[in-house]
Amino acid sequence: MNILARLEHWKKEGAISPEQHAFLASLSRGEPFSLSFELNVLLYAGVLAFVAGLGWTVTTWSQQIGDVLVLTVLSTLLAACSWYCFSRAPAWSPAETPGPSPVFDYVLYLGTLVWCVELAYLENRFHVLSGQWDLYLLATAGLFFFLAYRFDNRFVLSLALSSLAGWFGLTISHWPSHQDAAYRQYALFYCLLVGVGGVLLQRRGLKPHFFGTYLNIVANVLFWALLSGVFNRQGYGLWFLALLIACGASLAWGLTRRQFAFVAYAAVYGYVGVSSMFLRGVFDDTVVLSYFVLTGVAMLVVLVQIARRFGRPA
Amino acid sequence: MRLYTASSEETLRARKLLTDWAADGILTKAQYERLEQGTISELRTTNIFLRLVLFLFTLISVGGAVALFFVVSRPSEQTSGGLFLIFAALCYAAAELVVSQARLYRYGIEEALAVCSVGFLCAGMQTLFFNGSFSSKPNAAEFLVPAAGAIFSLWVWRRFGLWYTFLAAMVFAIFLPGYWTSSHLAQHVTIAVFYAAGLICVAAARPHHHFDHLADAYSLVEAFLWLGIYLAINLQLSSLNLRTQWLGIGATTASEFARPFYWATWVLIWCLPPLVLARGIRQKDRFVIAVGAIVTILTFVSNKPYLGWPQHTWDPMLLGVLLTGVALFIRRWLARGPSGVRYGFTAARLSGKEKYWMNAGSAVLGLVSPQSITPTRPTSSPDFRFGGGTSGGGGAGGEF
Repeated sequence: MNILARLEHWKKEGAISPEQHAFLASLSRGEPFSLSFELNVLLYAGVLAFVAGLGWTVTTWSQQIGDVLVLTVLSTLLAACSWYCFSRAPAWSPAETPGPSPVFDYVLYLGTLVWCVELAYLENRFHVLSGQWDLYLLATAGLFFFLAYRFDNRFVLSLALSSLAGWFGLTISHWPSHQDAAYRQYALFYCLLVGVGGVLLQRRGLKPHFFGTYLNIVANVLFWALLSGVFNRQGYGLWFLALLIACGASLAWGLTRRQFAFVAYAAVYGYVGVSSMFLRGVFDDTVVLSYFVLTGVAMLVVLVQIARRFGRPA
Repeated sequence: MRLYTASSEETLRARKLLTDWAADGILTKAQYERLEQGTISELRTTNIFLRLVLFLFTLISVGGAVALFFVVSRPSEQTSGGLFLIFAALCYAAAELVVSQARLYRYGIEEALAVCSVGFLCAGMQTLFFNGSFSSKPNAAEFLVPAAGAIFSLWVWRRFGLWYTFLAAMVFAIFLPGYWTSSHLAQHVTIAVFYAAGLICVAAARPHHHFDHLADAYSLVEAFLWLGIYLAINLQLSSLNLRTQWLGIGATTASEFARPFYWATWVLIWCLPPLVLARGIRQKDRFVIAVGAIVTILTFVSNKPYLGWPQHTWDPMLLGVLLTGVALFIRRWLARGPSGVRYGFTAARLSGKEKYWMNAGSAVLGLVSPQSITPTRPTSSPDFRFGGGTSGGGGAGGEF
């Protein structure tokens, strides 16, 4: 019995009204067929391609076309985007607010990305704050936080959080090569700041739907920082303890809130950390492989139990 | 042939749709709870995160067990090949067993076991029959390895319904013509013919599965095949002789092809996108429409290299303007139709799930966008240091 036959059956049983049946049947048949997702992706790709070309052009031709023209074009674009966003935005509300028009979010994206290009151009051509690049990042993070909360936009919130991470000296691309103690401390401080900030904003009811974004970013940065401590040759005991506590917290949060991404974080990051502890100094292939077989099976048993009890698809 | 009964899969699909409709407010809570009782399936499934983690740990367990066996027993190369084949059979049997006994469905465990069986089969055949090593001049009979991989992947796709094993079969098929001919032209044509044959089979099977649980599976497979055909004929994008490239022997360049073939493919890359888009729109097929859009963009991107025209730094800007313009035009055109609908299409969002995915996607893209749009530092001019963009949101970092 396919879904159309099932809907017919439900209508005959009286479980759904004829109106609901008509609506759901047309939805199942793709009548009408919504192109909303595809058009949004196309708009996003268009904005990204445009700004990428803009940055490439400015980089390549700035000396030929001159600073004045470059800055005029970039500033005009920025001003136009800002005008559009501030003139069209609905009154601010602490709750989730839909955008006033389907293109509003993309104009905001364009503005924020053009800001990045212009700021980089200004500093590299004029060295206004030479050697103080971190201040640019901090100011940019502040601006993006403001825009994210003013216009209720997760994309700009992510930009703000990554700018703030940049200010802390935290870049995803630098992770593999910078696992020193100072770097880890910055990461932890970043987690503390963003985590506490996210909780406070959620408790105060300021765009509480952003909390998931904060939590996911904090969880991943925290786990990477703790893991880098566990991988230390010395003084890793405390980091290991902290990792276990973080895994426990992540697991508890994931199970109680039915947010299974956190269960996955706890399982994967925890397994990597515990494995590095157990296999420290072990070079016998048989022991290492036996460890993976036994612990892999043990993890499977535990995860199957979790999946049986909690993990039905939402 | 399929491991799950149609009624089980239909019931699961109905349950999923009920959840979506209840979340969108189309059904009341009372209705949802009543209807949900009628969609209880014997299949055991789980959410995407636990599925991924279960997949990972099954791979670790199986990989560890097989490696441990080899470390402990230290068999000869010939014996190793036979053992790999035995492990492939064991993994496949285990995958069938957990589905038939535990009724697992997209649970990660049975998927990883099936994937391992494909991997072990190829490793076993390579080791047993061809001494386990790839050489620059492969034995012509070695095509049996990717052929077996492709056939077995297709079997797993049909039996378990795992979409990525179909993709694996397509990847295996790429390696086949390299064993039969050294002509790159013939290799491109052979691969395109393979995919076209698959497309004909899928197109013939699809009409029997309108609105049922297999409709999405066939839609995805058709989209993959269209994309595969396009990539096979676009000489500027495809790097079909992957095996040769990996071994560092040399890559195929567009200039190696005969001029008539080269220009024929250029004509084809312009003909294929409208064809795919038309098919997707006619069938109201989301995946095929998406592939139609992708191949259209790829045609724009590869047109200049095809013609040998110089690329300009502002080309991406023009592409961006074009994409944005097209999206805005379609949106407005659809919105102006009666009730926002034209020819059965609307620009309005009909499902809350789309919003969820857009929100999740925009949060992730917000983290990666600055890295992808910020220009890289030019190496020719040491004085001019605009570039970098390795540090997140501001698109800037120490390299600036």
